[in-house]
Amino acid sequence: MIVLAAAACAPRPRPAPPVQSAVPASVTAMAAAIELDAKRSDQEPDSKIRDQLAAEAERDAQSCLALEPQAAACLYGSAIAFGLEARAHPTRAGEFLTSMLDALARAESANPIYDEAGPARVRALVLIRAPGWPLGPGDAEAGVAAARRAVALRPLYPPNLLALAEALAKNGDGSGAQENYARARAAALASPAAADRDEWLRQADQGLQRK
Amino acid sequence: MSTLLAAALATLVFCAPGYPGGAGDAQPLIDQFASAAVAVSGWPVGSLAAVYDPTEEGGLAKLSGADAALAFVPYPFFVEHAAQLHLTPLVQADVTDIGPKERWTLVAKSGRITGPASMAGYTILSVAGYAPDFVRHSALGSWPLPPDIKIEQTGQILSALRRVAAGEPVAALLDQTQAAALSSLPFAADLKAVVQSPELPVAVIAVVDSRVTASRARTLQAGLLKMGQASGSADSLQPLRLHGFVLPELPSSAVVP
Repeated sequence: MIVLAAAACAPRPRPAPPVQSAVPASVTAMAAAIELDAKRSDQEPDSKIRDQLAAEAERDAQSCLALEPQAAACLYGSAIAFGLEARAHPTRAGEFLTSMLDALARAESANPIYDEAGPARVRALVLIRAPGWPLGPGDAEAGVAAARRAVALRPLYPPNLLALAEALAKNGDGSGAQENYARARAAALASPAAADRDEWLRQADQGLQRK
Repeated sequence: MSTLLAAALATLVFCAPGYPGGAGDAQPLIDQFASAAVAVSGWPVGSLAAVYDPTEEGGLAKLSGADAALAFVPYPFFVEHAAQLHLTPLVQADVTDIGPKERWTLVAKSGRITGPASMAGYTILSVAGYAPDFVRHSALGSWPLPPDIKIEQTGQILSALRRVAAGEPVAALLDQTQAAALSSLPFAADLKAVVQSPELPVAVIAVVDSRVTASRARTLQAGLLKMGQASGSADSLQPLRLHGFVLPELPSSAVVP
């Protein structure tokens, strides 16, 4: 049937991950540049500029991978860049999202706790938001498994709990979803005050209202 | 003045329950489609608005609005709600990689289903499960289902097929795209296509409750039939996975309001 904007499911990346001391500065800089492109893209209404930002992020990811092909920062950055490409080019979203999942799997193998278990968390969000088989790589059950891995690694990080709640809701487990939205809310309240915390609280409250 | 008002604003409601796409994501694409449809039909610029709703309830609510003059809906939705909403088909969508018609396939665990009666106590899961009349009488009209069978809607067809393969008392009714991809599943050998529907329309654009005058409906129909051939209008079809439109060819058993 008709597929409407099947692409717009690539999750918004979290703010730039903490600097890893073992990672060369240039790799860190390129990973940060990709994060910055992602943030700008998220707020950019002009599709042409989003297109440029996606291309810029893709170039940075390629440069990063050329320097450190196995670095979690580069693989994760590459995944984010594919996500931006998926948003910018909806008709090719399927291939970009598949590449995104592949890069996330390699990032998770390289360093599962990178960005507070970011590879598993972002993987979960892609799996639960992307169009499902056969139109896209979405797989709600696999999304729950990925979200559980993220929570197991960083149980108090609110975005991991939010991802698990969203995954459970997508699988029809309403009570599990509510429980995790409540845990995400509590974890967010225990976090230092910041713009991120407000956003986590907003998402948790929104989820708790969806009974 | 009254002519101006009559030509003022009609709304085309897109509704595709169970298929991917959120209202926000879809809006620019359906706006583009509405503009192209107006241009190719000679309707006044800005006289056709478009809204999208991915749910059956949301779609029904929008279609009950006084400005809802046209519906762009999957055929199962049309079968289920044509009488209630007084839908009169205008054109049939010619969908990329499918065409204007498709067959639906009932899939069960290999060796489990020998005939309709062996499905007693089963649940049929389908993206079209919100339309039980379509499932029973259009897709499976030649396969009289036992009365105790349950029909449920799911957007998670992969999960449904895993349940089928695991031997749960569940069967899946797949659209043509899904059925064509069955062999790509690692557990495909555990699944068997047990019956297929006749060719049925994929989706239709219909007039809602005669809210478009006959003359305007005719010009729109002529315009829609040209889409896909006229330069410019084709660009608005491709993101919706459409080739164009053909005249409606509904099965003789279809509900006609």
